Amino acid sequence: MGPVGTLDLFREDSSAVVATKPVPPEAAASTPAATAAAAATVIETRNLSKVYRDFWGRRKVAALKGLDIEVKRGEVFGLLGPNGSGKSTTIKLILGLLFPTTGRVLVFDRDATETAKNERIGYLPEESYLYRFLNAEETLDFYGRLFDMPADLRKQRVDELIKLVGIDRARRRQLKEYSKGMTRRVGLAQALINDPDLILLDEPTTGLDPLGSRDMKDLILQLRDQGKTVLLCSHQLADVQDVCDRIAILHQGELKELGRVEELLKVKGVTEMQATNLSEEAQREIAEVIKRHGGSLLSVDHPTTTMEDLFLNIVRESEARPGHRRVGAGGAEEPPARKAQEGVQ
Amino acid sequence: MILQPEDFWSFSQWLLRPGAFLESALLQGIAVAIFLMILGLLFGYLVSAVRYGPVEGFYAVARVVREFVTKDLPQMRLRRIGAMARLAIKEALRRKVLVVVGVFIVALLLAGWYLDPTSNDPGRLYVSFVLTATNYLLILLALLVSTFSIPQDIKSRTIYTIVTKPVNALEIVLGRILGFAAVGTMLLVPMGVASYFFVSRGLQHSHEVEEVEDRAGELRGSTSVELGHSHTFQLDEDGQGLTELQRGHRHLVTRSSDNEFTVGPAVGLLRGRQPIYGSLEFLDRNGNPADQGLNVGYEDIGGGYGAGGLARLMGRVNRRDVYQHGYVEGGALTAAIYSFGGLDPNQFTDGLPLELSLRAFRTVKGDIVTGVRGTLSVRNPETRAESQPLTFIVKEYEVDQQFIPVKLRGTAGDVVKDLDLFTDLVTSDGRTEIVVRCIDSGQYLGMTQADLYIRAGDSSFAWNLFKAYLDLWLQMLIVISFGVMFSTFLSGPVALIATAVAVLLGMAAEWVFELSASMTPGSRRNLGGGPIESLIRLLRQDAMTTDFDLSTVPRVIIQGIDRVTVYMLDAVATALPNLPKMNTSEFVANGMNIFGALVGRHATAAVCYLLLAVMVGYFFLKTREVAG
Repeated sequence: MGPVGTLDLFREDSSAVVATKPVPPEAAASTPAATAAAAATVIETRNLSKVYRDFWGRRKVAALKGLDIEVKRGEVFGLLGPNGSGKSTTIKLILGLLFPTTGRVLVFDRDATETAKNERIGYLPEESYLYRFLNAEETLDFYGRLFDMPADLRKQRVDELIKLVGIDRARRRQLKEYSKGMTRRVGLAQALINDPDLILLDEPTTGLDPLGSRDMKDLILQLRDQGKTVLLCSHQLADVQDVCDRIAILHQGELKELGRVEELLKVKGVTEMQATNLSEEAQREIAEVIKRHGGSLLSVDHPTTTMEDLFLNIVRESEARPGHRRVGAGGAEEPPARKAQEGVQ
Repeated sequence: MILQPEDFWSFSQWLLRPGAFLESALLQGIAVAIFLMILGLLFGYLVSAVRYGPVEGFYAVARVVREFVTKDLPQMRLRRIGAMARLAIKEALRRKVLVVVGVFIVALLLAGWYLDPTSNDPGRLYVSFVLTATNYLLILLALLVSTFSIPQDIKSRTIYTIVTKPVNALEIVLGRILGFAAVGTMLLVPMGVASYFFVSRGLQHSHEVEEVEDRAGELRGSTSVELGHSHTFQLDEDGQGLTELQRGHRHLVTRSSDNEFTVGPAVGLLRGRQPIYGSLEFLDRNGNPADQGLNVGYEDIGGGYGAGGLARLMGRVNRRDVYQHGYVEGGALTAAIYSFGGLDPNQFTDGLPLELSLRAFRTVKGDIVTGVRGTLSVRNPETRAESQPLTFIVKEYEVDQQFIPVKLRGTAGDVVKDLDLFTDLVTSDGRTEIVVRCIDSGQYLGMTQADLYIRAGDSSFAWNLFKAYLDLWLQMLIVISFGVMFSTFLSGPVALIATAVAVLLGMAAEWVFELSASMTPGSRRNLGGGPIESLIRLLRQDAMTTDFDLSTVPRVIIQGIDRVTVYMLDAVATALPNLPKMNTSEFVANGMNIFGALVGRHATAAVCYLLLAVMVGYFFLKTREVAG
């Protein structure tokens, strides 16, 4: 997705936001800064429910039941759940595209149905619902106008974003000629046109190749580092795990789990160690030590890398050494620490 | 073309109707706005009450109203409206709507083969054709373009990326309407220019001089036949002269030094006459003043209910504001007196050019060759001095030109003497009377107020055509406003049908008014009753002139339901824009200058409908779940 970090993309005044580090909810309750933390709540849903009805007002399906979540300033919040669990409904309620059946949504302390809240929001829909008869430049210029941006600022932002999302060469082509991934990039660019404080991403990595997907995740983390708040929903659990600070898991419209990712994923009572250059004998000794201390050894194994890492390594190597073909690499690469050690020897 | 009383209203007369405020356009506009507002709030409350309960529902509606007043209206930004408008323009252009201009040009080329320039009034034929073709094409296009846009956005979910930006429903609706209006303008301008050249080039012609004879130093001659007519002419000693008037135009004929004759292009072929109208009174057979002329039979031309406005709907007036031809009898004391005011001697230094289009009604065969004869005389309304009558022969179905010279003989104080038009026959404040009489006994001359006027001058045909196109543009604006309004809460095809119904009901308004009037108690007209009654009559093959032959109870029930239905239809038709009234192409086709007040009235009405449509559209778009 291009040289993300090299661009002076975001406003200087966002540094004020950077200064405010995300406050974990548990800490917030016990610190004197509790009031400040409450003020830093970006999204708040109170007993939010949504019932879809048919034309005659008959109840069709309860898509969301009594959801209570708070998203704090500066965090990356993930909404997870299987299809039909109410993720998209939640995002649409937050955006005011749907109206709650009961309960309320507050965004920046304003009702979600108020238009004015949109000044500080960027939204990337599930699929990039853009005007296919416009080209990338016209698209971004159009959305810039909707933010009442003056012409020179608009031009500058459009240039920056087109470079940021890496569609510089196709900027004058109509979107109907774009691939899905490229359309997605334009979609992302339009979501960032106003340098938003809150970014809502509905399935952000859908349609992107692994490289683009990684860039997207890097961008999300970068946005977080700049103090932006990101709310995303995704099926790609790995993505959620990589970028989210906190997640909420929904199922059949109900909140099933809410908390910090590392806390939720921690398998309590199991200890994992990784070591290099261990001989068979050393491994046996360690097993004995474990036994002696009353523990039981569950497994001894060589770690595998992820498919994503493998793919990214191949692509990067290919870019560095064009024409070279990596044959029979077999297993995964060794961890970087080992390579470094070999280099010393 | 018969002008109706309401055509003569000035802008303020139309807006306020002094003395009859109930009939005024202002009241009608206010009533429609209030009615829509109450209906909207009530409907909004019912929907909200079902969704949130009676108390919360009230607050939900109140919140929408508050947001409109405190946020959305003051926070409207031109740049956002402009962005929505530009989007609408690009959308329409990329859908290749400009092809319509091509279709129009092809239609003109084809029409060039079929329109007959040798017909009696080719100017009328050509102008009517181009304006009608433009009108229908434009309204059809406005319907199609405006109704599918927002539903398409909702269906393709592109609206998600719009409404999640700080653009409010007011800007979305207004932007769309203005954008499509701009597209319509892009179409209308080339169509208008093409029409202008098509008409002016298609009718322009010249003649050759065929015969010239020298009568005691005066050269008289005639021209060749072109486009089905020829002219006679007479040259002065300088070798110049105008041909006589044929089909509303003349040519300049000049003789050069080597005795060659040249005939210039047609002058006055396409024009916009600027008339000065007077008021009309009649004298009955005994010479006493009467409101109306003689009625020679069925002169009922229908229409004229619409001018009653709200007063008619409320049952306060049931009269028809329409001119009927009043007749004066030949060889009797009957006369028609046109009273003019505000004549300026400096404007008419040579005399008064009159134009008349009178009707003749014969009770005896008479002299069929020469036609029915009438007289015109000028009378001073104060001194009663009157000129000697100027005899003319009625030319039916065309505009006849007569000229009252400045010096003429007449009677002043029982003395016959030479009179000066402006000193003796026109009062100091510029008032005068033109008296029309019929001199063939047993024959009658019929006229309305609009049938005799002083032609003060001509405005340019291009300017007149421009005004007619402006009226077409305003009609298009109304259709677009309605289309966008309906599309905020209906799907594309349904919005198209709803808009088409609104347009058609507006077009048929006068007919609905007439039906409604025929169903009021005491009406002597019988149009066969309302929908149910007429259906039963159709099935039973009953003529509509017979009594509705049903026993009392079902008849009362059916006629009651019909009355209610037709009344509601009447109310809706009164609220809708009356598009045929906004059509001024007849003015151009007849070579009459379109009154500025008319265009002003149409523009005001169009802007009001636009604002109403924006309000309704805003309300629906604001309260609907676009992701629903």
